[in-house]
Amino acid sequence: MASNSVPELASKIYDICVSNYPSDHLFYQQDLLGLGIVPKNEIPLLLQCTQSLVDQKLFRLLQGKNDRLAWKVISREDAEKLQNLSPDESLVYNVIHSTGRTGIWVRAIQNRTNLHKSILDRCLKSLEGKNYIKSVHNVKHSSRKTYMLAGLAPSEDITGGAWFTDGMLDENFINSVAGFIEYTVSRKSWYEMPSADGGPRSKRIKTADGTASARQEPGPKEYIPFPAGYQGYPSVEMITAAVNESGITPVRLGEESITQLLEMLCYDNKLVALNNGEIYRSVHNPEAIKQKTAKKPTTDDTDDRLVTNGMTEAPCGQCPVFKLCAPGGAVSPESCEYFDPWLEKALGF
Amino acid sequence: MSSQYSAELCALLVEDNFGELFARIFSTLVRYDRLSLPRLKFYSHLSYPQLRHGIAAMIQQHLVYHYTSYDDGFTYYTPNLQAAYYLVRTGKILELIEDRLGKYAATVMSAILYLGHVQVGNLEDLPELQPAPTDIDGVEEEQETEGQTNGHNGQDIAHAARLHPTLKALAAHGYIIRVRESHFQSYADNVLDAERVIKARPDIKQLKGKKLDEAVIEATLTMLKERMDGDLTRGLVFNGVPRGVKRRPDARNGDDPTKKARSDYAAVDEEDEHDDEWSDDELDDEIPMESTLTVQVNYDKLDVALRNRRFLDLAERDSSSATIEVYDCLLRRIEYQTSKCRDGVEIPREGEEGEQYSAPIALSAVADDVDPNLDLAASIGPMDASQPGLRRGKRPLDDDDHMNGTTDHAAANTLASKGNRTYEVDQHLSLLAQPPHNLTSKRNIGGLPSWTIEFRHLARKLRHLELERMIEARYGDVALRLIRVLHAKGKLDEKRLQEISLLPFKDLRQVLANMQSGGFVDLQEVPRDAQRQPSRTIYLWFYDPDRVRSSMLEDTYKTMSRCLQRLRFERARLKEFLEKTERSDVKGNEERYLSEAELTLLEQWKAKEALLVGEISRLDEMVAVMRDY
Repeated sequence: MASNSVPELASKIYDICVSNYPSDHLFYQQDLLGLGIVPKNEIPLLLQCTQSLVDQKLFRLLQGKNDRLAWKVISREDAEKLQNLSPDESLVYNVIHSTGRTGIWVRAIQNRTNLHKSILDRCLKSLEGKNYIKSVHNVKHSSRKTYMLAGLAPSEDITGGAWFTDGMLDENFINSVAGFIEYTVSRKSWYEMPSADGGPRSKRIKTADGTASARQEPGPKEYIPFPAGYQGYPSVEMITAAVNESGITPVRLGEESITQLLEMLCYDNKLVALNNGEIYRSVHNPEAIKQKTAKKPTTDDTDDRLVTNGMTEAPCGQCPVFKLCAPGGAVSPESCEYFDPWLEKALGF
Repeated sequence: MSSQYSAELCALLVEDNFGELFARIFSTLVRYDRLSLPRLKFYSHLSYPQLRHGIAAMIQQHLVYHYTSYDDGFTYYTPNLQAAYYLVRTGKILELIEDRLGKYAATVMSAILYLGHVQVGNLEDLPELQPAPTDIDGVEEEQETEGQTNGHNGQDIAHAARLHPTLKALAAHGYIIRVRESHFQSYADNVLDAERVIKARPDIKQLKGKKLDEAVIEATLTMLKERMDGDLTRGLVFNGVPRGVKRRPDARNGDDPTKKARSDYAAVDEEDEHDDEWSDDELDDEIPMESTLTVQVNYDKLDVALRNRRFLDLAERDSSSATIEVYDCLLRRIEYQTSKCRDGVEIPREGEEGEQYSAPIALSAVADDVDPNLDLAASIGPMDASQPGLRRGKRPLDDDDHMNGTTDHAAANTLASKGNRTYEVDQHLSLLAQPPHNLTSKRNIGGLPSWTIEFRHLARKLRHLELERMIEARYGDVALRLIRVLHAKGKLDEKRLQEISLLPFKDLRQVLANMQSGGFVDLQEVPRDAQRQPSRTIYLWFYDPDRVRSSMLEDTYKTMSRCLQRLRFERARLKEFLEKTERSDVKGNEERYLSEAELTLLEQWKAKEALLVGEISRLDEMVAVMRDY
């Protein structure tokens, strides 16, 4: 048969592999024989074919499970790229490619390729120049220079997740998203009393609801809690969707990032996780949150604090030399300079 | 609890309340602990007559334990720091009693507190407990009850008839107990005494080794219980409700009084009923308390009541008033069945304490206690937010049912509305059971739905809250977040801590360092090799609430004594002026004898004193949370 020459068989194998399988499918020897292209399942012939494909950079040779040989298909465009590289460069490229989204530290490349540092630097430079690879900032080891393929988005291990910008925690971004989430959750976790239109009913509601719901002069909205076991609190998916729709974030945030933030809000006592963190309920009602954010510009937001206790009120609670204080000592209750201002402030004279 | 600052504080309290002689004896005893009379004389530089007078009075006040040894016949004296500390809580206790049982009960209580322990017969003779017709509180009550149709006919009842029901009510609540001989000895002495008695018993003598130890311990505990037991509630509690508390009257005036007014009201109602209803109940009520009975205040029980108040405060922060009312009813019920805050002497270490549930209270009992006119439905939203219309339409109807049921006692309606009512109470309690506080928990006992309280969990929560407040005040909310993360996750390295708390490194390190120097968090080093090089070491941050609590407790004692010392100093500054105001001719006639400037000064002084004393009592609340609950 005419088509038994190695190049032809190879291109046939390649075409079938590309068209019938996903691009990251791992082919073992058995799989390739199973395609039925190589006559009589001659293994040496198959190996010749694959070797030629590997030489053309159309196949990538890998080690599969149990140390078996395996191959992966490379698309033609990528293959062209690779064909233009020098052997050293291609070596480096393959190493970087193998680490995927986690990237690889320069010294690790050196160890794996055994290239001299100057050669490696040259290769990296030329690859970067061709825009095949990029250098990324590693959050965990900020001093390590890390590379990965240009087309990939760095994984969260490297960037530290959505909350980092260039390896630094983006505080403003976090705060704005956190504020948004709190308000969104809050709107769904309190039942808004339908504004009463006079009559005896509204009167009764007011007296019964009394102290708990925040009531202020403009817009007397009343919020009451839902009964226990209420399932309408927002879930992580709903919150994520709401955040992504709102347009306050330039990038799409994943559910993991949102969960991270939700946990933080729980630690801040702003939200409460129910059903093992599936759904979230807010502690404050929307009106209270709105007030709080409105108040924020004025520096002193005592409302936000937990209720004070005896220790935080007394001058001793804040006293820097409290440990030294003793009757008759250099610092003593008699000579204390904090008591008088405190008394004056509290009593107003 | 005999640490430096608590001892200092207790000595100050004794001095403040009872004067220098007591303070001298007390502080000597605190310093040297257990002393015989000659040694006490030697250390305190007081004369025998002084000491004898002082100690006798201090024993009366339970400030000193005494114990006569069998071996050498000497009597040894030990300070009772607990009793000395409770001097600071007097005000709070009286306020609680007044709130629960009315003004007269508070007066009786204050007399008992003032005297340490007292025979009922002596109380009868006390002039301040004789309700004269012009008695201030009598007049007030008259005014308060005017609105009521049934009026107040208790005025002309002989005072004994008033004292005894009040004492009985106090006893039934467990606020006062019988004084037993063993109450005058320290706990350790009592234990040793009991052990000696038990070891002398023939049946115990036969035992050996481990068995002997076990038997002795067990028998000692029973004997101690027997000897220390001053419980007076027997026969005074019916269906879990003490004498003196009556279910709220069904027909209440329709208008909605404010909460404060309502509680006064309830108290007066109860007073009323003492007078009116004792006679209708059982003959038993006619019998006065034995006049030879000696009573004292039961601090353990009062702590339970005060702790329940704290739980209520906690609930108040984010629940509606209706929910609070329901919770209050549950807590009352539980209080009647709880004799002390916890079993052990010390607060167990964090994570090592088992849960201790309160007595379960049947849902129906709570439902019965709740004010029938309280609108329960309006403060809980519908189960389904998308259908508010349905609920809106339905609720007024429901409520009308209630109104009819409770006010008219229409037989047909009551049954249905009662079931409904119980369901609503259950809803409110479920609301409280939710995180973050889990203020209640539901149990099914024999098919009956009941509600309990996880005491240890809540006490812990209160403790943490107290510490968190301190941290927030000192280091800001960033620190608070870190503490909560560390508390929830245990020991963490900086990286992981940052990931969870989402804080920039700079802030994180700064806050952690500040807190470390303040003793709130600490760092653990875990070397990865034997050389312990810093670069090969893992550093883990941790927060140990136990450690922080005990150091905070000391600080609180110290702050309290500083406030007292400052108060004394302020008093010394104004000594001459204050002596003038104390003069018998000036006192009561200040306006006549004092100039304008002096009057303002007096006003200011009073405000200052009130502020400092108030501060001390606020600090006492913290001590209670960190030590007693």
